[in-house]
Amino acid sequence: MNVIEATGLGKRYRGTWALRECTLAVPEGHVVALVGPNGAGKTTLLNMSVGLTAPTEGRATVLGGQLAGSAGALDGTAFVAQDAPLYKNLSAGDMLHLTRNVNRRWDQRYAEVRLAELGIPLTKKAGKLSGGQQAQLALTLALARRPRLLVLDEPLAMLDPLARHDFMASVMAAAAEDGVSVVLSSHALAELERVADYLIVLAGGRVQVAGEVDDLLACHRVLTGPAAEADECAARLCVVHARRAQAQAHLLVRTSGADPSADPVPPGWEAHPVSLEELVLAYLRAPGAAALPGPVRVRDAEGVTR
Amino acid sequence: MSIDKGDSSTRGGTGVSPASGPDSGQHLRVSDAEREAVAGRLAEHFATGRLDQAEFGDRVGRAMSAKTRADLSGLLADLSETGAPAGPEVPRGGGRQGSGPGSPIEFRLDAASGVPTYLQLVHQVEHALRLGYLKPGDQLPKVRDVVASLAINPNTVLKAYKELEVKGLAAGRPGQGTFVQATLSQVALPELTTLRRSLSGWLATADGAGLDADGIVALFTSALRDFYERRGGSRTRGGAASGGTEGVA
Repeated sequence: MNVIEATGLGKRYRGTWALRECTLAVPEGHVVALVGPNGAGKTTLLNMSVGLTAPTEGRATVLGGQLAGSAGALDGTAFVAQDAPLYKNLSAGDMLHLTRNVNRRWDQRYAEVRLAELGIPLTKKAGKLSGGQQAQLALTLALARRPRLLVLDEPLAMLDPLARHDFMASVMAAAAEDGVSVVLSSHALAELERVADYLIVLAGGRVQVAGEVDDLLACHRVLTGPAAEADECAARLCVVHARRAQAQAHLLVRTSGADPSADPVPPGWEAHPVSLEELVLAYLRAPGAAALPGPVRVRDAEGVTR
Repeated sequence: MSIDKGDSSTRGGTGVSPASGPDSGQHLRVSDAEREAVAGRLAEHFATGRLDQAEFGDRVGRAMSAKTRADLSGLLADLSETGAPAGPEVPRGGGRQGSGPGSPIEFRLDAASGVPTYLQLVHQVEHALRLGYLKPGDQLPKVRDVVASLAINPNTVLKAYKELEVKGLAAGRPGQGTFVQATLSQVALPELTTLRRSLSGWLATADGAGLDADGIVALFTSALRDFYERRGGSRTRGGAASGGTEGVA
């Protein structure tokens, strides 16, 4: 089952397209990282997935084909918007009460046990809790609805390192125990490598990269070699991004598949594996390049499709 | 079980107000603050391991729905309030491993090492086996607990445990967890001593030839890689369970 599917999804605000021609098929049971520069359309995509905004064109479905925003979709999806919004004047106990009453599925005991474990008092006003506690409270409210899909919009931005770690640990534990699929947008690339097993890169309102992290990392490598040969190499390979100095050049290339023997390293060149961070940065620096699932047709940095 | 003051009633016990006598005030309704105070103390007892996960959940549930002092009083009766040891308590597991004996080991992550996470976990299990922290029959940390303490993707842990299964070192028992199945072949102590002596001899020669520490490591690493490649690409001796007839592999 695909936990999120988008077909030609697009959203226009006045004259500007925040998102265009977005087509995705995200399998369930993954932790999906949604990355991209500010203004790339991440929040727009997430808002459409949870039914907070209606698309201008195309459609989005969740949890195996249910229209985003429909009753069935809303029941199974939980969303924590940016900065963990809570009613600051209500206590945690009040927030539990409120959330229980506006949702069909609710596990009060789970919420109470979680808050007790975290040491979050039920009687204090939410606005008086620390940033980390507010984020954990918002997460508790989402998880106590027992969703199949949890969507988090930049959940770590305002948190200190310990709070960030504890928050992600809670999310991962929910994924491990209850099989919740998670989609989170974040700028913390280095931390995402530990948690994400599916990657979507959005840039300029379009999907640039989409796929399983293991596959993406297996299909890319950095070739280091003499700068003088760089152009000749680039003509034969699919180069995403090149960095050159006088004597030496690094080419981040996409291979034809995961089997390294199918793409031998040119003589005199060295091959290195890439990290998720390096991969994302390379694609963000090369707006013309894309790596999308489907029949192996990729555009390299010059826009040449192979 | 309850630390009551000689009262044989089943609801005896100090409950929330130690100063009260056998039945004074037990019928009084409790406030949110009192329920919370009890829940907070239950959380401390859970963190130190006096309650397991199921008991903790059950008692917090009862605390939250308590109406009178009597309802709250039984919940802390068997938990010592003043018996905490003088020094800091080391929380068990990631603070959240409540029930059962747990695993003898805990994982750590070296984010900067460049080694994929799942491989780090595999290596740590093999290392623990060599050093004797883990023995056949021991349980590997539960996926949920690893994920809660390291904040990594659960599929990564599953991948590591799958790799250990393929190597024959561990086996999953449905509903129970993953358990160590075999041990890495140990090299006998006299053999180790002989090997070490010949290695010291080689090091003296290399040093005399002018190689520095980095040069020695590079030469050794390259020779080791070639050795395994010539042997057929596998770094493991033929099956971990077979005692090493080839000695150190």
